[in-house]
Amino acid sequence: MRIGMFFREALRSIRANAAISVAATVTALIAVFILGAFIPSFMYVRSAVDSQKAKVDVDVYIADTASVAQVNSLRDRLNGLRTDGTVAEVTYVSKEDALRIMRERLRDPSVLDELPSNPLPAKFNVRPTDAENADVIVAAVKDDPALDPTEGIVYPESTADRLLTAAKFVQWAGFVLIGILLLAAVLLIGNTIRLSIFARRREVEVMRLVGATNWFIRWPFMIEGVICGLVGAVVAVGMLWGIKVGVVDAWAAGADSALTKTGSAAGTIAFPMLTLVLVGAGALLGAIGSGITLRRFLKV
Amino acid sequence: MSDGPDSGRPAFTLVEVPQATEDPAQDDMAALFSAPVQDGTRRKGDIFRPGPGPMVEFRGVTKTYQGNSRGLDDVSLRIGTGEFVFLVGPSGSGKSTFIRLIIRELRPTEGSVIVGGRELGELRRGKVPYLRRAIGCVFQDFRLLPDRTAAENVAYALQVTGHKKAEVRRRVPEILSLVGLDGKYDRLPRELSGGEQQRVSIARALVNHPRLLIADEPTGNLDPETSLGIMDLLLRINRTGTTVLVATHDRHTVDRMQMRVIALQEGRVVRDEESSGYHDRTGEVPA
Repeated sequence: MRIGMFFREALRSIRANAAISVAATVTALIAVFILGAFIPSFMYVRSAVDSQKAKVDVDVYIADTASVAQVNSLRDRLNGLRTDGTVAEVTYVSKEDALRIMRERLRDPSVLDELPSNPLPAKFNVRPTDAENADVIVAAVKDDPALDPTEGIVYPESTADRLLTAAKFVQWAGFVLIGILLLAAVLLIGNTIRLSIFARRREVEVMRLVGATNWFIRWPFMIEGVICGLVGAVVAVGMLWGIKVGVVDAWAAGADSALTKTGSAAGTIAFPMLTLVLVGAGALLGAIGSGITLRRFLKV
Repeated sequence: MSDGPDSGRPAFTLVEVPQATEDPAQDDMAALFSAPVQDGTRRKGDIFRPGPGPMVEFRGVTKTYQGNSRGLDDVSLRIGTGEFVFLVGPSGSGKSTFIRLIIRELRPTEGSVIVGGRELGELRRGKVPYLRRAIGCVFQDFRLLPDRTAAENVAYALQVTGHKKAEVRRRVPEILSLVGLDGKYDRLPRELSGGEQQRVSIARALVNHPRLLIADEPTGNLDPETSLGIMDLLLRINRTGTTVLVATHDRHTVDRMQMRVIALQEGRVVRDEESSGYHDRTGEVPA
């Protein structure tokens, strides 16, 4: 009975102040829409960065002169890094394997037949668990006697560093941007509820007069804010769905699409989950926005 | 409408001059107040403390507004349970401050206000709504919700205080009939005359069975004939045991009814007489 009454009061108020309610709803819509566009984009960039980071390998070249014992000792040191979680995988590439790989890559492999002997050193291909660990691996084995004196250790230092910096920047920029957007949405919904309180000040006055408790007066406004947030979120989700189906999916479907090449859809959020998050965010925006305003402007 | 012993005649007429004679309609009014007001028992949610003490007591109350203007200046008085009191005085004399202190819309700068045995200064903020449920308020501008019918306006007061639907459905027509609005339940305020709107507002104030009814210039916007009807209604409510406090500068009404008159001027009580008129016995302005 009471909850039903609160809803009726909230709907009555939304109808009575249609313009204000529409303004609140549109505000929530914009905030949720931008949030909804940002979350998958952000996650896509993250997944692209992660897939690049996964490609950062460290090649540890072995001197031709190294003894079997020295090579085994180097292998043990690298495998030792696996146990402490720095290294994901250690693969041995023999001189013959290296030559075969080279042969496969060359357009004209016959040039290799001219070589008197195999010039390519054997190596351990080390894949770190995280690109940041490349430095640890290098530090651990750089003085090893089995290392090839000319090749030594090779890893794409600058690429890894740049990727890491980019990933951190994207992460922080994302947090800041989302924070600003949510704050703006909360303040705008709060302002709308303030206008609604003003439009209904007579009713509020009467409610106080007949002895309504604070929460009894507040509930319809809370519900009003939540309804605005929810409706805005639902419309925003609809718009995002349209954009996903009409633009993003079509783009990703292209055979050589840059989208599928650099990142993967699997790395981003699934649409039903995104819907849930956004609708929840819309409701929360409405509740927080009206809650803050009520605390400030509805003192009894 | 709830029929009295002789339901052949209307409960009361609109412009009945108040008289102390026995009135059959009185039985209707008393019957409606299902819980006797004076029996010292407490109703559910009632914050008033039962006892023989006065309904309203002001002890050395001073209210100073910002900018040092005085609303009230050292006012001490008592209004007994069941009394009918006129509060008179020119604009700015402190009548509204007096009323707003009683419903704790304002708090005194000095002194204490005691209503129904409760010192309002000690009342927690969360209890203020319960204080207001025990006090019915009527204002010059009626303060009805313009988008609701007469019945909805009255029902609102019951819904707000958590009454069940069935009870709301039962009590609203009863009380509207009681104040003389039979057949006008579904009218919007703008479709009613000023007197009728004030009756809706009185019905709303009464529907929660207040111990104290406060009317701030209830006839300020009404013609003399209609005013008589409203005053008559307030007097009948008073006869059921409800304490009634009417702030007014309607001289004719005050003179005719010969009730206790408290006159304020510049925030001070300048006269407090039983069975009096708007002016004091020398015929001066209320001073």
